[in-house]
Amino acid sequence: MAEFNIQSSSVDVTRIMEQIRQRIREKRGTDYTEQQTQELATVKLERFLDPRQVRSDLVEHYRNLEPPAALEPVVPYEKPGPAPEPFEFDQDTIYASSRGTMGKLIRLIRKLLNPILKLFINPNPVSFALTRQAEINTWTLRLLQQQTDLAERVTKQFERAGAKFAAREELDALNYEVLNNLVVEMSRLSVDMKNHRMLVESVAGRLDFDERRARALESVVQSRSPQPPGGPDATGEDAENTSSTGTSRPRRRRRRSRRRSGGTATPDTGTNAPGGGSAESDTATPPPEPAATTLPTGTAGQNTEPEQNPPAAPPPAPVEELSAKPPETNPSTSTAPSGDPEPPTPAALAQVADTGSPTSAPAPSTPGPGDAPAPAASPATETVARPSPEGETGTDEQ
Amino acid sequence: MRLAVVVQRYGTELNGGAELHARYVAEHLARHAEVEVLTTCATDYITWRNELDAGLDLVNGLRVRRFPVSCERDVNDFGQRSKQVFEEPHSVAEELAWLRSEGPTSPSLINHLRRQGDDYDYCIFFSYRYYHAYHGIRVAAPRAVLVPTAERDPALGLRIFGDSFRSVRALMYNSHEERALIHAVSNNETVPGVVVGIGSEVPAQPEPLRFRQATGIEGPVVIYVGRIDENKGCPELFDYFQRYARVSPQLTLVLIGNPVTPIPTHPRIRHLGYITDQEKFDAMAAADLLVMPSYYESLSMVTLEAWALGRPVLVNGHCDVLCGQCIRSNAGLYYETYEEFAEALHTIVSSSALRSALGSNGRTYFNTNYAWPVIEQKYLDMLDRLEREEASSVKRTQPRVGWFGRRRRNLPPARQQVDRLPTGPASRSSGANGIGPAS
Repeated sequence: MAEFNIQSSSVDVTRIMEQIRQRIREKRGTDYTEQQTQELATVKLERFLDPRQVRSDLVEHYRNLEPPAALEPVVPYEKPGPAPEPFEFDQDTIYASSRGTMGKLIRLIRKLLNPILKLFINPNPVSFALTRQAEINTWTLRLLQQQTDLAERVTKQFERAGAKFAAREELDALNYEVLNNLVVEMSRLSVDMKNHRMLVESVAGRLDFDERRARALESVVQSRSPQPPGGPDATGEDAENTSSTGTSRPRRRRRRSRRRSGGTATPDTGTNAPGGGSAESDTATPPPEPAATTLPTGTAGQNTEPEQNPPAAPPPAPVEELSAKPPETNPSTSTAPSGDPEPPTPAALAQVADTGSPTSAPAPSTPGPGDAPAPAASPATETVARPSPEGETGTDEQ
Repeated sequence: MRLAVVVQRYGTELNGGAELHARYVAEHLARHAEVEVLTTCATDYITWRNELDAGLDLVNGLRVRRFPVSCERDVNDFGQRSKQVFEEPHSVAEELAWLRSEGPTSPSLINHLRRQGDDYDYCIFFSYRYYHAYHGIRVAAPRAVLVPTAERDPALGLRIFGDSFRSVRALMYNSHEERALIHAVSNNETVPGVVVGIGSEVPAQPEPLRFRQATGIEGPVVIYVGRIDENKGCPELFDYFQRYARVSPQLTLVLIGNPVTPIPTHPRIRHLGYITDQEKFDAMAAADLLVMPSYYESLSMVTLEAWALGRPVLVNGHCDVLCGQCIRSNAGLYYETYEEFAEALHTIVSSSALRSALGSNGRTYFNTNYAWPVIEQKYLDMLDRLEREEASSVKRTQPRVGWFGRRRRNLPPARQQVDRLPTGPASRSSGANGIGPAS
């Protein structure tokens, strides 16, 4: 973090705050804020996590998940039996009688004799106490009933909570399994991704190696068979035909010849052959074309030497038969060095190094199954031999 | 000159807010005038329960006359009335009922001012929003000087307080932002006013080493002093600090004050509780900076104390007053988001040069504007100015509206009024280096 230039008398808090806010803005430009990170994390999960890909019997677990078994019920307390009926008592109870009409008389007499009774004892406090006790009893019974109901409700709640806890424990186990599976899948994907990355690097390395090899071989051919002045195919009628008919036909012709040779050991035949006038001459006078010209890139189109000195090769297939096949070039055969006539010499390799570093050359297009005819423009091709003054082959290369 | 300082509570045991402000002002003005404090018997600002004896008392050599509170606060009733006047259209009568419900309702104090008010040359009222200030200003308006201690809370939008702000002889503001708020809400620009604030007694030589030895805290320290409360923005501070501590684990947050809200358990958060003033100043001197997360402050004394000790501050930028003071003093940074909090905190902690410069500016700001001689002089100048003013310029309180008018529900919600007020820190032009002359 940049320090502020501080002079004790010239501190400007507003300016410092502006700098702080500027730094925050800059950080946000390159960094994600926490909120953005969270959003990205959410998007990833939604987009890539597919539960169906998780190899687990998790769904079955969920399906088979039974309602949680109830916990061991709380042992109910022993009820002491029905509560006795509360008695009623009031001020007149001590005078009452249960003898019907006679009882009324007795009650009247007792009331009349009450003053005499009061000479011996005062029944009023006893009556009052018993009255209050009856009220208290009634209240206590009601309270006990409420407490009992409450205890029962609490017990039920506890049982319900226990069941929920049990279900939660089961769910926790399942959640753990989900997480475990996710981690396993993520790890596997990570390993896969690394493997793919290594594979891509390997293919790129091989491609680079082939490119260098092609250039080296090209130099070898050139150094061994110098172009004779006024070469046989570059002059005369053939040359004129070449320049007038263009480059596509010779290239097709060359592909046919390679097909006839069995399609083996022809590195970069399709991709690097820019076509040339000599091929056109072959078309005009169809001799048994040497199939395995095996010329490396670029020079094959211009250098007609292989046609003059056909190597020992199997006889070519008829043209009609080959033309019915799609013009495909197997990338594996184009990169296989097994058909190379000779390995490059150190001098040739040195020449390759002189023509330009591999890194500075245009990147070779990765040959696919359908793009074999596409020529690759290499610096060597441009500099070594290009007899066509119109540059048509060069145009075609591009 | 005989002065009356009228405040809702008074005592040495009250450590904060307008009450402490009033005590400091009263004790310092007592060096220049005869001061008597008029207050209630309450010590609890929630219930206003009468806990002290009514009558005359002596506090630090000052005469304190206490009056009983006629009824304690009913919290439920106060809450309902607050909702009514803050959130709904209402009437003046409902605002007055809200004021009675808020308290401290002490009619005897008001009667004393009505009967004996002439004995005082000036009555300095503290805290505009309480019963004693509103009714006291009405009975003693020609001698009333108000220290509003106003914040941006809904009570500021009540109609009745506009009358108070316009009726007093003078206002002693705590900050430029407070003055701007009151001007906006009551149009009282013609009333004399000055931004004063409050001083603080800061020891000349605090001992930070003693604090370090006593607590064993090492490394950089950021300190918070005050009530640990949600209203003070402490939960947000805890959240921000814990996030910051994940990337800078060597910083320690020291908390001083009584907790009202839970304090998270964190190895880098140390709560020291309530400590003595000496220990507090030692701790502040030992800290690298003070943090003040409060959203609403009329004047943060602890911020001023940190500046007096030469310590920078980091304040909540949502609080206009604190933000404005930082800008005017060039002695602190402010934040509004976690990113700003982290950056500003890191900037201060990591740069000793910046810390030193900010602290130096803070000390200068405090000495220039908040040293007690400066404060006392501003009070005396204002009182002299009022003495010189002609009697004709003295305003009378506005007559109260009639019985029917008081019950007409034509007042907008107070919160709506406050939300319309201008926001942001006051500009530098409002005063040289922060505190401007009387307007």
